[in-house]
Amino acid sequence: MSERPSRLVSRSKRPGWKTWEHSEPCSGTLAMNSHWGNAIYTQGIHDMPAFAPVLRWHVFILVFIMILGWTVVGFAADWVQPEQQLARGIVAVTGPGAVTFDLQNMSSLSKKDVDEVTHGIRQQLEAAGVRLVGADQSAATVNVKLSENLQSYVWVSEIHQGTNEPVVVIVSVARSETPGSLHESAPLSIHKTPLWAQEDRILDVAVFEEMSGQSHLAVLSSEQVALFRFQEGRWQLDQAMPIAHSRPWPRDERGRIILRADHLFDVYLPGVFCQTSKTAPIVLTCHESDDPWPLSADPGLNAFFAPTRNFFTGVLTPGVGKQNSTAKFYSAAPISRSNYTLWLFSAVDGSQRLLDGITEQTARWDWGSDLASINSPCGLGEQILASGRDGGSNDSIRAYEFADRDPTAVSAPVEFSGTITALWTEAKGKSAVAVTHNGQTGSYEAFRLTISCSQ
Amino acid sequence: MRRFALRSVALSSAILVGAALAGTRPQYGGNLRVETHIVPTSLDPADSTQPESVARANMTALLFDTLIVLDAQGRSRPSLASSWQVEPGNQRWTFNLRPGAKFHDGSAVTPDAVAASLRVANPTWSVLASSGAVVIERDSPSPELPYELARSRNSIVKRDGVKIFGTGPFRVQSFTPGRHLTLVANEDSWAGRPYVDSVDIDFGRSGRDQLIALDAGRIDVAEVTPDQTSRAASMNRPTLSSAPIELFELSFLRDPTSTDDKTLRLALALSIDRASIRRVILQSSGESTAALLPNWISGYAFVFPSGQNLALARQKRAEAKTARTLSLAFDSSDPFVELVAERVILNAKDAGITMQTTTSATPDLRLIHIPLDTVTARVALTELTSQAGLPNPRLANVSADALYQAESAALQTQRMIPLFYVPARYALAPQVRDAKLSITGSPRLADVWIGAPAR
Repeated sequence: MSERPSRLVSRSKRPGWKTWEHSEPCSGTLAMNSHWGNAIYTQGIHDMPAFAPVLRWHVFILVFIMILGWTVVGFAADWVQPEQQLARGIVAVTGPGAVTFDLQNMSSLSKKDVDEVTHGIRQQLEAAGVRLVGADQSAATVNVKLSENLQSYVWVSEIHQGTNEPVVVIVSVARSETPGSLHESAPLSIHKTPLWAQEDRILDVAVFEEMSGQSHLAVLSSEQVALFRFQEGRWQLDQAMPIAHSRPWPRDERGRIILRADHLFDVYLPGVFCQTSKTAPIVLTCHESDDPWPLSADPGLNAFFAPTRNFFTGVLTPGVGKQNSTAKFYSAAPISRSNYTLWLFSAVDGSQRLLDGITEQTARWDWGSDLASINSPCGLGEQILASGRDGGSNDSIRAYEFADRDPTAVSAPVEFSGTITALWTEAKGKSAVAVTHNGQTGSYEAFRLTISCSQ
Repeated sequence: MRRFALRSVALSSAILVGAALAGTRPQYGGNLRVETHIVPTSLDPADSTQPESVARANMTALLFDTLIVLDAQGRSRPSLASSWQVEPGNQRWTFNLRPGAKFHDGSAVTPDAVAASLRVANPTWSVLASSGAVVIERDSPSPELPYELARSRNSIVKRDGVKIFGTGPFRVQSFTPGRHLTLVANEDSWAGRPYVDSVDIDFGRSGRDQLIALDAGRIDVAEVTPDQTSRAASMNRPTLSSAPIELFELSFLRDPTSTDDKTLRLALALSIDRASIRRVILQSSGESTAALLPNWISGYAFVFPSGQNLALARQKRAEAKTARTLSLAFDSSDPFVELVAERVILNAKDAGITMQTTTSATPDLRLIHIPLDTVTARVALTELTSQAGLPNPRLANVSADALYQAESAALQTQRMIPLFYVPARYALAPQVRDAKLSITGSPRLADVWIGAPAR
């Protein structure tokens, strides 16, 4: 089962979904005004509760059921106000009496919504004393076109009376984003669970629990680490810890959160290292650093990251066996063998490099730049997740196994609505975090990826 | 019934058609070769002697930043301003500057420098430098000010005698006015160094010559003028296309001087066969319009009928008994514009209106094209009326109906006859990766990288 991490925007009035609302359902004015009305802009905090995150199965199931219920019910869109407004505008021109009414949809509204709006406007007109009749009996003809612009639905009524110039009445309705339809579960072994979405670039996400079982979410962005606590059915911001840095970040910025045993976590960024304090209150201390980034918790390989670029330099520490360097690379993943670890690197030149401690093998598998390894109870017990692009502008991730040195695809590609900007193995090695930049909404969306055994 | 495919056009105004590529991270290096039809003699975004065009805005965006940018959905987002606040009344705005940003000469972006730049571009504004911020005070409520500041003309420029410096992703290495511009990557760009090392731009190249150069592998990015649409399609290159963003219109220099003059202008407007011009000369790209704002921005453009009515045009022409020959000026160096002008003259002739071309500085009317560098309806309408020499439109309120009334009033002055809107379109070499357009049609070359040609 996988669902699309769209910005969940509900215009229904059911309680519990208020925090997902993104825009007012009906303004009667151009939707840009909603932006104007929110003109105070502070980077990074403005849109935090973007969609419901999920961390553990019971929470996930709960949220799934909520989403499913919401999808099944559909959008109980409240068209009444604009219907009233348009009807009032029409009646102000025609007065009560016999009118021919026609409606055309030129917008992206669904047929269901169009039917509802048509019925609603007719009802409002009749309530205002208008009799809807055939053309041969009418004193006026009302042509309503349901149009839209960048931000709003625009309902345009052209009223024709005799040989007079038509009178135009316009009402606009702020348009919320269409939520993604719930995808059917495909017979895939990669599960994609939404964790978080926001406007600012997400570099990494970490989910962890206190001894008490209280769940936390750490979201690493360019300028801060935001800590959330799962409370009252949603993530609530606990603390936002700014990241001090003097140099500009690379354009394709990358970063990692590494959970630690003796303190909360470390943060690795290009040319910057940050560490949380060991005691409460939690403080994040950052300094310029060229220290290598951990590529995995076990077997503990580290690599140096080019501070002004988006890749690792290729210098490894302590090295893979006798090998302490490879080509510049974007990502790496270990593959466990009985008596050694085979390391797979996604090189900047588009090739893949396999290091076993003695030899370096170069391959070209037409993969993307991002790799992560993941442990599962399926197949060989260890899979490599690799990004790719099957067509169009959206990336996908597919699972592979290495019986020897060549990959075998063991899952169908799982698609994302945009490009993959991060793919990291999570702390326990049983899941990975993928971040995508949604090309349609412009937001960054983080997912947890897990493998389950196919039927 | 026509549905506007708005969501796909507006939400991601860029449409990339090209070969499928693996989802790889951007790679650094290489030189990007670009040609354009414009012949700029100055790089200063506030230089009003340089004609406005999408191409000029493209060039400006490489060198300069604005305080605010528009995202793919047309929303205001931080750029050189990291946050902003407005006081009640929408007249006094404070824009907090991004710390650490530097001009290309290495000097810091200070409130004084930003205020000075904005004063040059907007002599009537009150712009004050404050601690880490600039404060803009307007005479009247300006809820749309952030959108104004996102316009190319409000790019932040440091002027030092005849030298100008920006903060953009590239800095000038050499500039031969009207002929050639070489840019190199700005290593200190606050948004991160661009991926390509340099950009070479050749000026004064026709659309046809650009496509020939692209086909021969001499350049990487070519503009696709409307008259080259079919040719570009036949080349089977990746292309980028925006929503219709550039208005072509007939612009009268003076108000109508008599009833006959008004009637003659009405006859001219009715005589123009926009559908044929679009089909033949625009090669079915863009959209015919009799409105000032495109439908994807206003939502009601279809209310203004754009069809030819030759019978009524002849009738009106006959009513205008004292009408004289109309002189039409246009940019004869642009073969596309010349074709349109010839067609307009032919259409007018069919209605009995005599038009002749002129190179006079004071013709009766001009065939002009106006790029929209904003997607905010009110700002765009103000710009369009301003270009026609009309006073700023007065909107009773911020509703769509008020906007429609203001646009109707502007058109009723008979100073403008809108003809069509065309998109900004580009053809790319296959090795150009991650090319996307801003919502106003500029290719974001700082995010482009050069890879191996797609297979």
